[in-house]
Amino acid sequence: MKIKTLSRSVDEYTRERSQDLQRVFHNFDPSLRPMEKAVEYKRALTAAKLEKIFARPFVGAMDGHRDGVSCMAKNPNYLKGIFSASMDGDIRLWDISSRRTVCQFPGHQGAVRGLTVSTDGNVLVSCGTDCTVRLWKVPRPTLEDSSVSSENFIEPAAEYVWKNAFWAVDHQFEGELFATAGAQLEIWNHNRASPVQSFQWGTDSVISVRFNPGEPDILATSASDRSITIYDLRMSSAARRIIMMTKTNSIAWNPMEPMNLTAANEDGSCYSFDGRKMDEAKCVHKDHVSAVMDIDFSPTGREFVTGSYDRSVRIFPYNGGHSREIYHTKRMQRVFCVKYSCDATYVLSGSDDTNLRLWKAKASEQLGVILPREQKKHEYNEAVKNRYKHLPEVKRIVRHRHLPKPIYKALGIIRTVNDSKRRKEDRRRAHSAPGTIVTKPLRQRRIIKEVE
Amino acid sequence: MVGEKRRSTSKNLAKNKKRKGPHLPNSILKTIANEKRPLNSDEEDDEIDSDDANVDLYEYEEGVPEEESRKNNRYDPVVNYDYELPEDFEDENVESDDDDEGGNSDNEEGEGDVVRHTRMLQAVTGMPSAAFDGESKRKPVLFTEAYPESEFNPTRDVLEGKGLLTIDDFMAPIEGKPGFNDLQKRISRMQKDTQAVVHAPLPKPERERLERKAVKGLVDKEFNKWVHMVKRNREAPTVYFNQNVSLGYSTVGAIASEFQPRTDFEKKMASVLNDNELGEAHDEDGAKLLELNEVSVEDHIKYRDHIAKMRSLLFRHELKSKRIKKIKSKTYHRLKGKDLKKSAMGALMDPEMAKEEAMKQEARRVEERMTLKHKNTGKWAKRMISRGLNVKYDGTRAAISEQLQINATLSRKMNSTNDGSSSDESDDEEELNDGSDQDTPSKLIAKAREKTLKTVEDDEVPNSGLLSLPFMARAMKKKNEEAIEEAKRALEEYEEWENSGGEENSKKTADVSGRRVFGATAKVEAPKESRKDSDNFYDNSDSDNDMEGIENNDLRAVRDTASPVRNTGAITETEKFDDDIENPASKTTFDVALFASGSWKKMKGCQNAETKKKTKKHVPYSKSQDKKESRDEESEDSESEAEQMVDGILTSASKETYEIPSQAELIQRAFAGDDVVDEFEKEKQEVLNQEVPEPEKPVLVPGWGQWTNIQKKRGLPSWMVREHEDAKKKRTLDLKTRKDARLRHVIISEKVDKKAEKLHTTTLPFPYTSKEVFEHSMRMPIGPEFNPATIVGSLNRPEVVKKAGVIIKPLKFEEANPNEKVDDEHPRSNQKQNPKKGGKTGKGQRKGKSKQKTKA
Repeated sequence: MKIKTLSRSVDEYTRERSQDLQRVFHNFDPSLRPMEKAVEYKRALTAAKLEKIFARPFVGAMDGHRDGVSCMAKNPNYLKGIFSASMDGDIRLWDISSRRTVCQFPGHQGAVRGLTVSTDGNVLVSCGTDCTVRLWKVPRPTLEDSSVSSENFIEPAAEYVWKNAFWAVDHQFEGELFATAGAQLEIWNHNRASPVQSFQWGTDSVISVRFNPGEPDILATSASDRSITIYDLRMSSAARRIIMMTKTNSIAWNPMEPMNLTAANEDGSCYSFDGRKMDEAKCVHKDHVSAVMDIDFSPTGREFVTGSYDRSVRIFPYNGGHSREIYHTKRMQRVFCVKYSCDATYVLSGSDDTNLRLWKAKASEQLGVILPREQKKHEYNEAVKNRYKHLPEVKRIVRHRHLPKPIYKALGIIRTVNDSKRRKEDRRRAHSAPGTIVTKPLRQRRIIKEVE
Repeated sequence: MVGEKRRSTSKNLAKNKKRKGPHLPNSILKTIANEKRPLNSDEEDDEIDSDDANVDLYEYEEGVPEEESRKNNRYDPVVNYDYELPEDFEDENVESDDDDEGGNSDNEEGEGDVVRHTRMLQAVTGMPSAAFDGESKRKPVLFTEAYPESEFNPTRDVLEGKGLLTIDDFMAPIEGKPGFNDLQKRISRMQKDTQAVVHAPLPKPERERLERKAVKGLVDKEFNKWVHMVKRNREAPTVYFNQNVSLGYSTVGAIASEFQPRTDFEKKMASVLNDNELGEAHDEDGAKLLELNEVSVEDHIKYRDHIAKMRSLLFRHELKSKRIKKIKSKTYHRLKGKDLKKSAMGALMDPEMAKEEAMKQEARRVEERMTLKHKNTGKWAKRMISRGLNVKYDGTRAAISEQLQINATLSRKMNSTNDGSSSDESDDEEELNDGSDQDTPSKLIAKAREKTLKTVEDDEVPNSGLLSLPFMARAMKKKNEEAIEEAKRALEEYEEWENSGGEENSKKTADVSGRRVFGATAKVEAPKESRKDSDNFYDNSDSDNDMEGIENNDLRAVRDTASPVRNTGAITETEKFDDDIENPASKTTFDVALFASGSWKKMKGCQNAETKKKTKKHVPYSKSQDKKESRDEESEDSESEAEQMVDGILTSASKETYEIPSQAELIQRAFAGDDVVDEFEKEKQEVLNQEVPEPEKPVLVPGWGQWTNIQKKRGLPSWMVREHEDAKKKRTLDLKTRKDARLRHVIISEKVDKKAEKLHTTTLPFPYTSKEVFEHSMRMPIGPEFNPATIVGSLNRPEVVKKAGVIIKPLKFEEANPNEKVDDEHPRSNQKQNPKKGGKTGKGQRKGKSKQKTKA
């Protein structure tokens, strides 16, 4: 009598090392697995829940300033270093990994309003309300620095006094120019005591300036006359200007799409523009309930972080109308500055409560070394969640966020106001001759005009 | 227009002066002038302002159109130039205002006079009124200015464009003086040369606007050059930011090449290594070494000789072993074998021997385990232990422990040699069976005969299970009959053989040639084939099934025959088997019996080795038959009879009168029992009742809703009836409005499945444009259990692949590669279902109204 048995050779199934994986054979015939979709849906649900469970975005706070943090600058050449300046003229260099002050840069008499670092990470430029621009030599990061806790002080390498107070400064990408914003836009060279170039269009003061990382000679400014202007240094002239209904507090260029920029507006929304066509925003990112104070793009160009006067930090996708994430703590006050780390893994925020806070860019991300299998598992979870994110159960879990009470209430009010406005508009349209009432699309609504 | 107005007012003023005549004092004139000014002052101011703003130099020149100035006759003279003016012409209004203010009512008349006069002149001469206008204007007029002439208060001549200074005015005083002609010539030359005229620069705002326009174009161009890269990035299913991470040196060579000597020792080493002379010397040495590497003739010969020697040795050894093998002396071999056995090597070398050894070892082990001979159970050992002598004397103790040691070694299980599997065992059993037969062949044959008879006699049919089904029973019966036929045939043959004095025959069969093997085997196989045919005919189902059925009955017989011999076997007898064809007959019958029992197939299935032997066994059987041809024929006859009989059964089944039914009939017959339509209707009704339940019939509960006996007569209360009616109506309405109300063959359930609801979206999610695409996006699973490992990675890859701790630089410009697109197609057409792509590509390049693309 012959009995059919599974026969497998021992050699094939013997692992060389104990760490090796067991060989597993699968029959991929879908008819053998009628439940595969159900299984994956369940996994998506589990992944969504797990993501919520593991969402611990707050890494730590950096305490040391004696006044509200007014601005920050990341070192484009060194991941661990972050510069921050406060309203009392204090500038500090922090070591992110140990969350300690590495050194201080004393000298400013009033509030420091602008801080930037050259692309090679050697020169720190600061400016403030004391009408001075100061250049500092950044100490080279060494192994000893991180271990020694003693704070050392650094003298400015150069100090240029100018006619007006400054509001912002930004350094050219891979060049040696930097631009300051004050009564007018001025372009400086490291080695000159006075600006090499100066732009003025209108009489209002410029409040923010940002160089385009992809096109180093193009920069954008926003002014207190509610305008956003694009300049080209080579042509020594402005290119475009739009006037919006509210002031733009900060601007960020998309590092991966040099024609696109996003403006953080006083009305609580961010507006993404195409630099070639400014009369219409490409996307309106709404979610903040108060003025957006600062904005910074992720180096991947796929999302950006905003800090708002409503005491929250949000992360938006570059093409999405609503935020992907909101970060807040009980003790965090008005956020004045935010930065995305150069490896797109962390987010830093500086707020009125004198603290810098370090957050994970992805709230549930596992830090530290991840084994390949773990990595694969994470990727699979993400993919499955992404696939079923439209189904109600998964959607509910993925979208759910706890909000501070003031923000929640404000959101409710905003919603009510918007609803009533829309209702009114609808009625008006219904009771007037067709075509007489023209509603502007949301993307154009807050833009008054493009100035020639 | 403004100029015109002013002209007309001034004209009026002049007329006033002229007509009115009264010589007014200066002060009054001043007030009048002041009164008039504000009228036009606004306009004037405006004009000046705008002039300042625009510096419209040309407006003054354009103030007098060419047709009016009549520089050339390109323009036809207009006949009724003035008549055309309508009554409510602006001039009039202005004038009327003036008049009101001035209170000069007769001004109108004066104006009218002038008009009338010109009209008359025109009528007489037929010339345009302009001609006469000029005439009238030529009259000297005196103006008195209230304020000193300045740029803010220009004279009327200036405003009218009359009193402009020209070069000629400047030239007039020096006319006739020496050098005047030269100057005149130069001036005229300059006037002719229009090229050298420098125009006034544009005003600053205008200039800047133009500049910005140009810059805008350039910046746009600058941005546009990035479009292809941005598009590529956006459309890519995955963007990688973990590439091009240089982790320093990659190879040992690279590290070594960068080595710089620092310590003294390293420096010394470096100086030695980098010394040119030394290097040269080393090179030379190396060459020498290479020369030395050459094999000399002597060495080669030596090597060859060595090999030859080895070969000869091998050859001699071979010869020796051949010679030893040739030796026929049994004692020699026995002694040699003993030697070999004694040596452990022998056991290792010869598997047979090893097996034997293992058997012996096993036997010893069993014995040891049964008797416990060495476990201090002997009389001596007991005595020693009981008296404690083993403690006292070392020798005794040693002896006892030795005993125990022997016990341990003996009772240890030897599993290395025992490798027989279950099938082998059964094999062995058969072989043992066969081996033991040699002693009592006739007995065994008799036994087999008995068994066959028994099986022939008792053909019991199982009462339950699959085999109890009528068709199975029928088939089995057929098969049984067949088997019985065969068995009978075998018995016959056996009897024949017995009659002919089997012993002799069997002995003779030993030395027959294998020439006629084929016929015999064919004969044996013939019935099998016929049986197979019958199998196919009676039941087309799996033949194994019925085989099993028969096996239940008949294989038992075979097993029974085997059972008595089972225990007596020895493995070594397998070798002997080939030689014992002495009693073939018994085996043949045995085989036949097997055939007859119908379990042959099974046997063949599991014991390939046996079948081989069987064919061998068949040989003598056939020989014996061949020897006696007459009997052979008989047997053939009987066989053919059997076949006929089988055929007879076959034909009996097929020869029944049978008409082929028509298709419709067949279908009717096939679905005789089930009324599908009716069933469906019932089902639908059930579903309807379930989804739209029938209202409960109101029942009069005794004592409820009743007060008196009178009420009882009324029956159900009206409200109950009404409610019931309403509910009924509602139900019929509901049934009518159902989607499947008119579809007779369809049930459309309108019940919402709450569990399934969570697997549906209420609306189509944003990036998807159609339901199909959305459903398609989650059609195939992406998990590692459902996909090969090679594609799981690409299926699950996130949109952005980055690495913590790797600084991501901004986009660097690359020229668009025209060949790129072709290359790109391949990775993009991979398995990842990306619905956003379809939507994206269309919008991607729409610069103007391109909406923001969403991430899917």
